[in-house]
Amino acid sequence: MISDMARARTTADAFNAIAEPHRREILTLLRGRERVVSDIANAMGMNQPAVSKHLRVLREVGLVYVHPDGKQRRYGLDAQGLEPVHGWTGGFEEYWSESLERLNTHVKERKREEER
Amino acid sequence: MTPDTALSDRQLMVSRLIEGPRDLVFEAFTEVRHLSQWWGPKGFTTTTRTFEFSKGGVWEFTMHGPDGTDYPNWIQWTEIRAPEVIVLRHGEGPDDPEQFSSTFFFEERTDGTQVILRSEFKTKTLRDRAAEEYGAIEGGNQTLESLGTYVTGSLE
Repeated sequence: MISDMARARTTADAFNAIAEPHRREILTLLRGRERVVSDIANAMGMNQPAVSKHLRVLREVGLVYVHPDGKQRRYGLDAQGLEPVHGWTGGFEEYWSESLERLNTHVKERKREEER
Repeated sequence: MTPDTALSDRQLMVSRLIEGPRDLVFEAFTEVRHLSQWWGPKGFTTTTRTFEFSKGGVWEFTMHGPDGTDYPNWIQWTEIRAPEVIVLRHGEGPDDPEQFSSTFFFEERTDGTQVILRSEFKTKTLRDRAAEEYGAIEGGNQTLESLGTYVTGSLE
């Protein structure tokens, strides 16, 4: 957590990232499934470099993850980055963001135990 | 079965990269001693009455909110494909008319395991309600906030 904060610029948090309408549109597009850049660019009527720039910002604040799939890179929504945002909204996504955060801690501890 | 299709207006989805191998992540879903360590939001604990991890098996448990409120939970596994997919029905009990179905996908990544949860509700109304208030989070949130204030206050 601390290392993440140190790496992030002061302006780079989830709330700042989603203040930009195009980035919100990208997150909405990624809601149901992973997509490649060209797919997002087509859906938004934007060029790929512009979309890539937005994706980079979204990745920096942990709202989006990238998944290399052969020659392509697929992008998806990352619940970890959305956690501070959901902290405001409650409901299903907050319940599961928090549960999966705890699951991550649990799994990391068990991994350490196994390695001992 | 793949999670890569569009969401309907009766579904909700959440996904998270878990930093561990898929077998270990999957195992965390299969035993009470693991589930009780992580299931539920911050500040919640669970007490299990029945647990049988098998197709048709049931997990009956109570979730205890940070303010002491108890929430009955009933889960029945309808499909288990280790270590890739778990499908379950979730509600307050076996006769809960507002039961919904949840599918967990476990996908291997170079840096861990992507857990993708997709829940499907019976109606759009139920889905919209779950998006806003699920597992009585609203109440829990207020309690956590007051707890936070309490802790901060006691530190000053």
